Amino acid sequence: MRLTSLLKKLFRLDVCAFLALGGSSLLRASDANWFVMDGHQSTIFVEGPVARSQTNLFYVTCWVTLVLFILVGAVLAYATVKFKARTAADEHAEPPPQGHGNPLVEMGLIAGSVLALVVIAIPTLTAIWFTYDVPGADTKAKFEELVQKGEAYEVNAIGYQWWFKFEYPGEQINGFGSLVTANELVIPVGKAIHVNLRTTDVIHSFWIPKLAGKVDMIPNRANLLWFKAEKPGYYWGQCAEYCGDSHAVMRFRVIALGPKEYGEWLDSQLQAARVAPVAVAGAAAPKAQFAALRSFKQNEPGITDKFEGPTPLEAWKKKQLPEENENAALIAQGRELFADKTCMNCHTIRGHSVDRNGQKVSFGGITAPDLTHVGARTTIAGGLLENNREQLQRWIHNPGDVKPGNKMYFGVGAMAGYMKKDDGGHWVRNITLTDADEAALTAYIESLK
Amino acid sequence: MSSHAATIDHHHDPSTSTGIPNKKLLMWAFLASDCMFFGSLISTHLIYRLHPPSGSIRPLDVFDIQLTSFSTFILLMSSLMMALAVNAIQKGNVKSCRWSLLTTMFFGAIFLGCQVFEFNNFVLEKHMTLSNSLLGTTFFTLTGTHGCHVAIGVLWLGLMYVRSFKPAGGQGGGGVWLTTLLHLGALFGALVLSMKFVIELVWALQGFNGYAMAGFMGREFLTLAGALVAVGGCFWLARPAGAIDFNEKHAIDVESMGLYWHFVDIVWIVIFTAVYLLEYL
Amino acid sequence: MAHDTTAKSDFSPHEEHAPAKTFVLWRPKSPTGLMDWLTTVDHKKIGFLYGFFALIFFLVGGVEALLIRTQLMFPNNTVLTAQQYNTMFTMHGTTMIFLAVMPLSAAFFNFIMPLQIGARDVAFPRLNAFSLWTFVAGAIILNIGWFLPVDRWGAPDGGWFGYAPLTSKTFIPKHSIDFWVMGLQLLGVASIAASLNFIVTIINMRAPGMTMMRLPVFVWMTIVTSFLIILSFPAITIALVELMMDRNFGTNFFEVSGGGMPILWQHLFWVFGHPEVYILILPAMGIISEILPCFSRKPLYGYPIVVFSGACIGFLGFAVWSHHMFTTGMGAVATAAFALATMCIAVPTGVKIFNWIGTLWGGHLQMRTPMMFALGFIWMFMLGGFSGVMHSAAPADAQQQDSYFVIAHFHYVLIGGSIFALLAGIHYWFPLIFGRKVSEFWGKLSFWLIFIGFNVTFFPQHFLGLNGMPRRTFTYDPNMGWNTANFISTMGAYLLGLGILTYFIVMVYTRFKGERVKQDVWDGRTLEWSIPNPPPEYNFRVIPTVHARDAWWYEKHHQEEIAKEKAEHEQAEAAHGGIHMPFQSIWPFVTSFGILIAAIGVTIFDSDWSPGVHWKLGLSLTGGLVMFIGIYLWSLEGAEGYHLHPEGDDHKPDAPKH
Repeated sequence: MRLTSLLKKLFRLDVCAFLALGGSSLLRASDANWFVMDGHQSTIFVEGPVARSQTNLFYVTCWVTLVLFILVGAVLAYATVKFKARTAADEHAEPPPQGHGNPLVEMGLIAGSVLALVVIAIPTLTAIWFTYDVPGADTKAKFEELVQKGEAYEVNAIGYQWWFKFEYPGEQINGFGSLVTANELVIPVGKAIHVNLRTTDVIHSFWIPKLAGKVDMIPNRANLLWFKAEKPGYYWGQCAEYCGDSHAVMRFRVIALGPKEYGEWLDSQLQAARVAPVAVAGAAAPKAQFAALRSFKQNEPGITDKFEGPTPLEAWKKKQLPEENENAALIAQGRELFADKTCMNCHTIRGHSVDRNGQKVSFGGITAPDLTHVGARTTIAGGLLENNREQLQRWIHNPGDVKPGNKMYFGVGAMAGYMKKDDGGHWVRNITLTDADEAALTAYIESLK
Repeated sequence: MSSHAATIDHHHDPSTSTGIPNKKLLMWAFLASDCMFFGSLISTHLIYRLHPPSGSIRPLDVFDIQLTSFSTFILLMSSLMMALAVNAIQKGNVKSCRWSLLTTMFFGAIFLGCQVFEFNNFVLEKHMTLSNSLLGTTFFTLTGTHGCHVAIGVLWLGLMYVRSFKPAGGQGGGGVWLTTLLHLGALFGALVLSMKFVIELVWALQGFNGYAMAGFMGREFLTLAGALVAVGGCFWLARPAGAIDFNEKHAIDVESMGLYWHFVDIVWIVIFTAVYLLEYL
Repeated sequence: MAHDTTAKSDFSPHEEHAPAKTFVLWRPKSPTGLMDWLTTVDHKKIGFLYGFFALIFFLVGGVEALLIRTQLMFPNNTVLTAQQYNTMFTMHGTTMIFLAVMPLSAAFFNFIMPLQIGARDVAFPRLNAFSLWTFVAGAIILNIGWFLPVDRWGAPDGGWFGYAPLTSKTFIPKHSIDFWVMGLQLLGVASIAASLNFIVTIINMRAPGMTMMRLPVFVWMTIVTSFLIILSFPAITIALVELMMDRNFGTNFFEVSGGGMPILWQHLFWVFGHPEVYILILPAMGIISEILPCFSRKPLYGYPIVVFSGACIGFLGFAVWSHHMFTTGMGAVATAAFALATMCIAVPTGVKIFNWIGTLWGGHLQMRTPMMFALGFIWMFMLGGFSGVMHSAAPADAQQQDSYFVIAHFHYVLIGGSIFALLAGIHYWFPLIFGRKVSEFWGKLSFWLIFIGFNVTFFPQHFLGLNGMPRRTFTYDPNMGWNTANFISTMGAYLLGLGILTYFIVMVYTRFKGERVKQDVWDGRTLEWSIPNPPPEYNFRVIPTVHARDAWWYEKHHQEEIAKEKAEHEQAEAAHGGIHMPFQSIWPFVTSFGILIAAIGVTIFDSDWSPGVHWKLGLSLTGGLVMFIGIYLWSLEGAEGYHLHPEGDDHKPDAPKH
């Protein structure tokens, strides 16, 4: 805060210039005190030990360089003012003495700069080792010990174009392997989280500014990152390495929960996907419950700060509960469509790989986010859109508009998406959804708590 | 000027600040740069040798150290001939210089022929291709780049050789460029065709049967004939004809080319050690 | 002993009456018109052409930047699509680095450096022309994608750093990346050839008495930069070759399924990429080290230390590449080593700033426009340098890497540093090059517009970065606290654009209508001011003999001694046959043209041997043939020349101004 108030003063000039331009009225959202830097991805107001050590180090470098800047700048400013030729007489005066410098002065200044760098170097080295891996977990065995004692926790994060998959190797599900989720990483508070960073396509970078600086996910390379959340909270993260068309919208969230709530969340996640109650067999085909899709503008924001509930974390908790007014018939229809429209080829919904008649339709693919409990997440489309009916329908209506180049639209590997290439190499439509289809699918996806 | 030319000091050029001829300095600086080229390629190869993917090809199953040792020796000998060529032209002995240049080219061509043979052998017999393994990727790229350097060197030697026939003082008028081009064509025609002939011959001999030999003779008769015609052309174009402008003042050109040639040779020694010999430790 | 600067070892006395040549070995002599520009071997004309092309691409890169800023003016803006935006930032970076700043530096190397060392041309005039035209060929290939359909071709969109495996055929099958690869290859060839030429020129073609420790600092920075280029470009050349092999011939260098390691690309790229940073800034430091002494009217403070620190920066530049990779999980030890090495580089950089201030101290500062830009440079470079020191603290960098903080940092170094110095250099040497001087009022106005616009654009970006905004993102949501800073930044960018526009309009106006000035308008210190403006084709009627650092200042203060010496040397040279000038030649241009055709053939080549492969291969081979013909006739025509006997007394220095 000391720093920010200082910078605030330094910055008055820019603010004036800005006001003079009359720009503030043009702004859609107001963040007039933007120089405080307290956004969702602030690296200044941090909430974990790793990010804090990085921020403290930043302050050290900032103060050292600020002092140097003021000293050197003062001399430079003084020299400029003092030795400036002001009059015609100055301009045509005899040239000053043609001196070539003073080795003693030079050596003194070199020694001074080296000293200033030592002040930065020492905390740098300390922080490098502190931030590298979970403290005290130099070996696999020691790490296991920490996990046993409840001090550490292991997750895998895998980057895809353009979303994140999270695996919990400590939580095994019979017949399915590790618990898998996507785009929202739920972690226990107070434990050191050790993240194994992997990717199978291009390079991504895993960054939760308030909890830890970024580490890249590089193919054929086993990278790791650790962090700890000190209190329950809802954190914003984002891919930080250019990874293709939709790099800008490759986002994710981290939700830190207390021990009891984390346990409850884990229990619900380990369950198979929920089936909405009271599915009346043979009921009349349900009508679409909401109006036809309103058209969205390109890049229209799909998310706001105005979550239901006082904080984002409360909103997240509310998402864990089933929606009101569920239409079981519509949901059942959506479930069938999910198999019919080949969504299953890429997405897994654990436990729903059979249709209503008990026929096995698919095991569920793993090339796209696991949707077993997607209804309980606050966001969809790689953290880009808020998880509500309107946005869900916007997303499945035309994913190519929301996330340029995305794989649900263009397919991934040999798997076709909404579009496929014909023999001539031209894109043709592969999956077509009617408004009613979209309504049913939306209802189904929402029900997956 | 001509009296001055009789006493050219090949180790000091009075017209430059340092006494080092410009062309020599240029070549040294270029070779420093080329070191980085090969440094990057050799590093790539060694890094992937240290981190091989599982199930990759073992180099020892592929390499044929006898053939490569032979071609290494030939390349070393070509460096000797190159040194003799520089020495000859510094003494003003154009004829001796030409023969040394030709021999250097010839040895360079043998080296390239061995490489063509080796690459064919690796791809067809040992099933290591550019794209089916990381070893193939780095090996062919590295040795292929070196081969390109040798080929450029051979081309340069050829240019220098035919240039040594350029008539003095603009005699021969505008036909010079055409005669020289013809000469160059004959020279490389002879080299390439005879290289093809020899390689095909070796393959036919490896077939160990009359059928292979008969097919070979049928196919390669024209190659042999072409090679002989080209060699004849070389002799005809190299017949003595009037004064030439190639003399010891051009020693610096030959010397710069020699620096390049020796460098390519040294790089091969490094590659031979790092890529081949280390595998046999 | 007369000093024959053109130093042809096959120099022959017959050349003055060279026999009539047929059309093939014809040597063009036209002194004006298109043919002259295509065949020139005059370092000054080549320098001018470098500058001309560089400034055009500087404007192109600037327009790309303005489009980027316009897209980011508001959250969720829709001026550009994601793909257009990605293309824009890729081409903005590539253009500014390879097509604007580097060739603009090369323009000064070409034009000024031979004049400062008292030479009549560079060591290899035709090679110099070849470098120029190969640079133009590379620029054409890089930009050709703009004019082709975007689905299969398009302009490059893989980032200026081209990280594998994103740039592999799997993820970007379009030819856009091939244009990028081949364009950079040609620019590498051009840069290496030019640098070899500069190295030989500086080492071998100095005027008598111009010892290495009397070289102007700009010349020192030229040679350090040239060494950086010849030693660092091979790394990216090889990386690009490997990428091209992966894309077109199915190799596995960066192919993950074949065991390739994409991290290798990053190492090869940054082994080039970090020295590249110094390739961009060292010439700028050289220019500043010329301007400050001139307008302070006293010698550079601590010359040996400034020279040594420049060489030291160049040397250390090869040992810090991995600080661009602090977030790639190199391990604690490697991270620590590169962090410390990076901090070390701050010392020689700081030393330069101290010495520039020392130069001002006790001087008579004349606040002309070049001096304003030079002082602006020191301030902005200090800010950029200090944020650079912050990056060297690796854990702090983990938060800053690939955020807007980094963008702010390197724009302070590259605009506030390189561009400010290059703009200062244009103003400073304009009277020498064109014989006209830019009006002080308009010069200073453009300075203040650029200075204010630049700071309004980039200072807020520090805050954006620390507030977590990542780079290379075509959009952002309005709830992140980034709206205001982005808006201010965009407004600043428009102001900066206005400043640059003013600068160029004033420059073009001055070229044709500006105030004519006499020789040595700034009361300069180095040899380029000892000749008339614009300089005659032979530069120096008599090759100067250097007696001190700041040779021209010394001449102005020892006029009698110098006049006597000059007269003697002139007689000696006349007895020697006059001033030797190299013939013009078309073959460097033909060679570069062949390379261009061949390279286009390679870029449009498809690895799957799809239809049309024959004419594509044919195009490559035709280009190769043209190139070979160029080289063949180039070598056959020989490095011949003619002699000049200039009349008149254009060489007398004015009395020193007091």
